Amino acid sequence: MESNIALRAERIVKYFYEPEKFQVLKGLSFEVEKGEFLTLTGKSGSGKSTLLYVLSTMDTDYEGRLELNGETLTGRTQNQLAAFRNEHIGFVFQFHYLLPDFTVLDNVMLPALKINKKSRAEIEAKAYQNLQLLGLEAQARKLASRLSGGQQQRVAIARALINDPAVIMGDEPTGNLDSKNTQNVFDIFRELAHERGQTIIAVTHDEDFARNSDRVIDMSDGLIV
Amino acid sequence: MQTTNFSIARVHLTTNLRQTVVALLGVVFGISMYIFMNSFMAGVNDTQTALAFTSLAHVRIYNDGPADGTNLVSRAYPAATIAHIRNPRVLPYATGIGKAAALQALVRAQPEVVAVTPQVNLNVFFRNGSTQLNGTLSGVDIANENKLFGISKYMTAGTWARLRYRPDGIILGTDLAHDLGVQVGDNINILTSDGISRRYTLLGLFQTNVKQVDKGKAYLNINAARQLLAQHPQYVTDLQVNVRHYEQTAPLVQRIAPVIPYKVESWQLANQQLEAGAQLRNIIALAVSLTILLVAGFGIYNIMNMTINERIREIAILKAMGFSGGDVTQIFVTQALVIGLVGGLLGMGVGYGVARIVNVIPFNIAGLQTLPMTYYPRNYLLAFGFGVLTTLIAGYLPARKAAKIDPVAILRG
Repeated sequence: MESNIALRAERIVKYFYEPEKFQVLKGLSFEVEKGEFLTLTGKSGSGKSTLLYVLSTMDTDYEGRLELNGETLTGRTQNQLAAFRNEHIGFVFQFHYLLPDFTVLDNVMLPALKINKKSRAEIEAKAYQNLQLLGLEAQARKLASRLSGGQQQRVAIARALINDPAVIMGDEPTGNLDSKNTQNVFDIFRELAHERGQTIIAVTHDEDFARNSDRVIDMSDGLIV
Repeated sequence: MQTTNFSIARVHLTTNLRQTVVALLGVVFGISMYIFMNSFMAGVNDTQTALAFTSLAHVRIYNDGPADGTNLVSRAYPAATIAHIRNPRVLPYATGIGKAAALQALVRAQPEVVAVTPQVNLNVFFRNGSTQLNGTLSGVDIANENKLFGISKYMTAGTWARLRYRPDGIILGTDLAHDLGVQVGDNINILTSDGISRRYTLLGLFQTNVKQVDKGKAYLNINAARQLLAQHPQYVTDLQVNVRHYEQTAPLVQRIAPVIPYKVESWQLANQQLEAGAQLRNIIALAVSLTILLVAGFGIYNIMNMTINERIREIAILKAMGFSGGDVTQIFVTQALVIGLVGGLLGMGVGYGVARIVNVIPFNIAGLQTLPMTYYPRNYLLAFGFGVLTTLIAGYLPARKAAKIDPVAILRG
């Protein structure tokens, strides 16, 4: 059953040093199975976003051990982690975080252009497909900065999916969306998890969203409740 | 992958045009100011040098008289011996340089020597009626003298070459002629220290703008000067030598001084105030040049730093998507290189333009018409290389810093 584990976190401890030393994560251990749709909930300040950043490898300043797809990621260099993220992790930020001077299509295509495994035409076709999935095909040629907040959030999701990553992480991925689009994104996530075997880890405040997921990890003061 | 990084760099440069233009202007300003200031200072230095060497040769060979031989007793008796000598005098000795033609050929054969001219120099009184002024009379080899000092350039009346065929002709400094109240074609009386007096016709006037020269110097044909002194046809008092690089007289002096039985004196030794002036100007030029480099370099660095800091969030996003530190560095170094190269080329153009403009500003002192300026390719290449290098460093350092940190550290702010 070892191979069925997508992500394993062992005794994750993290401190903030500003304005004073403060333990945010107090030794968390858990596993996530492949194809599982997991949500992290908890009050603000409970450390759920911080945990997600550690899991996403974008924060390397922690203690403990992190394993994704059977590979130990703790202790790797920035460049190794970047390459790993590029191929295996799709991330949706709380605030959309697109490159404002590029078109929507370029934004979605960039991670695939970086990995450089497919031709440009294939990448473009795939990017269009993802945008269509999120109802944004009409906006493809616009500059990212011209879109509304909700639209940008959905572009960010389309971008996270471009390389068919093993794990998709979202920090409030539906935070800026209306109920119709929230439902749409939820359906997409569940389909990815259940039909394509991609693992979803999402931080959310939305109780409906959490309740309908496969598993909920509720956090409080740096510990799993 | 490379093309993706380059296209990101291109989008960055072209979308925020105002930012790119500001960065470009910073580079252009730094490079053009460096070029302009260096060209201007070199122009001033070259002018000063040219003024100094209008009547001064790089090396002068002359007979500085016998050694002090007024107390011969001390040579033959112990030092404590008391000698009482009254009114000592040196008996007539050979004046001038013997075998001057052979010496001239020897000096001319040295590799760094570009010109040698023999002179017969004497102090005289210039007389016109009751006006009587003292000064120096130079009997010169017309062609070689012009090669060394370019006297024909300074002629304001008459022509230099006429002196060659007129043993009765004389050329005066403009101020001397004015003080004597003579004009071209008039006669002047010359009185030597030996009491010989002769009349010459004024053939022309020169103005070097060195007052001391213009007020107290006259030229004769060298043969006429020999006649005036009742000397033999090879008589020479001075050999004036010019070398290729005026600052490098020491090797020549060291080589020829031991084999020439006369005084060999470089301009640095004879005119230490000129030497000091030249050295100080060089030091100032270097100090100003370094200051400009520092200020321009700092300006370029600041602007590039600002450009990259405005994109720091985008760097974090790129890294979150999986772009490596190397990609980030490549993207920003590419931008820096483009800004450096374009700014460098424009800067050379602007620097040249400013130099041309300043070069036509009138400046009517000491024979100059406009402010002096030089156009040495060396200055342009140096400024260009420096500008591109500074821009690259200024792009590389912050990019490398951004490449190293966790993307989350930037995104959290």
